[in-house]
Amino acid sequence: MTVSETHLVMHGLAIKKHATPEAIAGIVGLDVEDVRAALGKLVEAKRVVEARGKYLLTPAARMALDADYSWVYEGARANPHFVAGYEAFECLNGSLKQLITEWQTIDVRGQGVPNDHSDKGYDDKIIDRLGDLHERAETALRRLAQALPRFSIYRDKLSAALEKAEDGATEWISDAKIESYHTLWFELHEDLLRLMRRERQE
Amino acid sequence: MAICFGEWTIGLTGEGVPDRKLIGGKASSVARMQALGLNVPPAIVITTRACAAFIGGHTTPPGLEDEIAAGVAWLEERTGRRFGAGPRPLLVSVRSGAPVSMPGMMDTVLNLGINDETETALAKECGDAAFARNTHQRFLDLYAHIVLKAHPARPDQCGDPGTWRTAVHDATGLDIPYDAKAQLRGAVRAVFESWNSRRARRYRQHHGIPDDLGTAVTIQAMVFGNLDARSGTGVLFSRNPLTGDPTPYGEYLPRAQGEDVVSGKFTPEPLSALANELPEAHAALLVAAQTLERAGQDVQDIEFTIERGQLFFLQSRAAKLAPHAAIRVAVDLVREGLVDVDAALRRITPEQVMILLAPHISEQALHGAHSLASGEGASPGVGIGVLVSDSDEAERRAHSGEAVILARPTTSPDDLHGMIASRAVVTELGGSTSHAAVVGRALGLPCVVGCGKGALDGLAGRTVTVDGRTGKVYDGALTIEAPDESDHGSLTTLAGWAAARSPLRVLPPSSPEARGAVDLAENIAAADPATIGDALNLIKGARGARGGAIASDEGVRAALAAGLEFIVADPVLPPLLAALRSKAEAAAPSDANERP
Repeated sequence: MTVSETHLVMHGLAIKKHATPEAIAGIVGLDVEDVRAALGKLVEAKRVVEARGKYLLTPAARMALDADYSWVYEGARANPHFVAGYEAFECLNGSLKQLITEWQTIDVRGQGVPNDHSDKGYDDKIIDRLGDLHERAETALRRLAQALPRFSIYRDKLSAALEKAEDGATEWISDAKIESYHTLWFELHEDLLRLMRRERQE
Repeated sequence: MAICFGEWTIGLTGEGVPDRKLIGGKASSVARMQALGLNVPPAIVITTRACAAFIGGHTTPPGLEDEIAAGVAWLEERTGRRFGAGPRPLLVSVRSGAPVSMPGMMDTVLNLGINDETETALAKECGDAAFARNTHQRFLDLYAHIVLKAHPARPDQCGDPGTWRTAVHDATGLDIPYDAKAQLRGAVRAVFESWNSRRARRYRQHHGIPDDLGTAVTIQAMVFGNLDARSGTGVLFSRNPLTGDPTPYGEYLPRAQGEDVVSGKFTPEPLSALANELPEAHAALLVAAQTLERAGQDVQDIEFTIERGQLFFLQSRAAKLAPHAAIRVAVDLVREGLVDVDAALRRITPEQVMILLAPHISEQALHGAHSLASGEGASPGVGIGVLVSDSDEAERRAHSGEAVILARPTTSPDDLHGMIASRAVVTELGGSTSHAAVVGRALGLPCVVGCGKGALDGLAGRTVTVDGRTGKVYDGALTIEAPDESDHGSLTTLAGWAAARSPLRVLPPSSPEARGAVDLAENIAAADPATIGDALNLIKGARGARGGAIASDEGVRAALAAGLEFIVADPVLPPLLAALRSKAEAAAPSDANERP
């Protein structure tokens, strides 16, 4: 069963929210022109609204999308590779959140204070651990991509964010306004939760 | 000098510190502590030369195995223990240590030398079978993860070692060695191989570090803080890391191993407990704290273990300080003659200054304040606005100029636009690692998480004040106070020192001379740090400037390039620090790459 482009565009919009056609195309692996065309049709059908060059799902479209998940990804949910990949990802999710928290907050005598990034040794150690975690995530992402090839996009984007951070551009770790490692990780998580029809814990 | 076991291996004796290029960072710090006369668990080092030979020849260099055996025998002699045998088994740790630290290198493996026989011997020696079992499991866990890179589901905590070994074998087809010497061989080889891991190679390439430098391997005897009532483990800060107060601060856990302190499972005792139980060790610790602080020229975070009354120093490094402490310590260390003014100024970051001067709720307003909800303070700062429970609504109302606070059961990437538009974020569920907390901190947004299910029901539409440090949500708009730089003794001192060295004068708005500055407030290019240089080109001939992004790092750089005499800013210290950094970078351009 192939997933329709319209569904993919709506799904990408549900994850990116308030997104440009380029951002949607980048996350679901479609051509930008195809995404533009699909968005045009969706706007006509009143499933999507445009505001300042960015697009947004209407509430009705969101409900329709949620209903679509039940059958569109039945195959993935029944695929042991995909489910194993998802479970491995969930296992790593806690470590990633802990790691990002340690990046942002240092523990001084049991009290969390903002990391002012004055200690390069501390920061380097965390980037190193992020690299370790990434290598484990790659294994999980490979299994996910075996069932749904578009998941390799996340692997490439996460690797790119990690390498930028390793090269010293540390905003690529958790800056919320760019496709930082943490931004991508959460979008990936959101993607998986929707496919698996699970609820976010926190 | 240190004792040599041949071409590749050195024993650290405390007489002199061998070349860091040869023994790497970890062993250097061991040798430095020894050189200060401190008692450190005995250690041997396989030098970077051996690693280079391994990488070049793709195999263990000839003679290395014999040298390691000789080194281990030397450790046995110094500890009175036997590696891989009872009645008093020697356990060791294995650490990688390149001359320059880099990512992708092998992490530390502890407790090598343990197997079923030595576990039994250790249980007998310390009278604690559970500890011996735990030590064994910890070894299996670390070896599987770090050396074999296997991540099998962990058998339950009381699972027997045989089950663990089988689980690792089933998951990877690889075996955790049973024999102590084979464990050591495997770990050493893994350190060598980590030199060529993907991340290490990338890092070297990016930073121009030669590929043939190699990493050293430090093999150190483990000491036990849980052998008897005169054993224990703890940490000591040479000054209080939260306040900067120059009194040593420490925690001690009698009859425990290092990881017990970190685990949080046990509540450590204050250092005074140690003063009562082992006054000699306590006194020696305090003296060592002074010695290490002087040698390191910074506040030290010291890990120690006491084994049967004998004090061992495991590690000493510059302590991580809360921003308040960092500012105070910088001034104190100069006054005490430990560092010079330039070094003290280099250690202060603009972020630390801004955190100190962050606005907070006034004491008086807090007194009569009514708390509507409370949770965990996850991102500090104060936000005031109307509570809104939907991200789209938050964005819409913020666009029309209203100050809003986003309140959600939890947040997800769906809420990012609402968070960006809000003055603070409050959630009902989740802790300090939740999405709201992580993103709130990334955005510099005050954030309170985990107020409890339903705790925010019915609050929408109310004006509230959120304190992201204490985790409180108060009714109404409380009075906010912003601390003044000039009221803060240490900041004033630092600003005075920085002003005397800065190539650019930075005046507070209250200075009479500040009126002569060109105001950039209306200039669009000047509002953006990336383009402020263009704005300054248009005011050639002006003596000073104010407004826009002039106080940012880029603004200061542009002001220097444009030949301005002064800028106007409040607070003055962050731009002064930026001016000093610019000056230092101009003097030594290669340093500019250090902290991009």
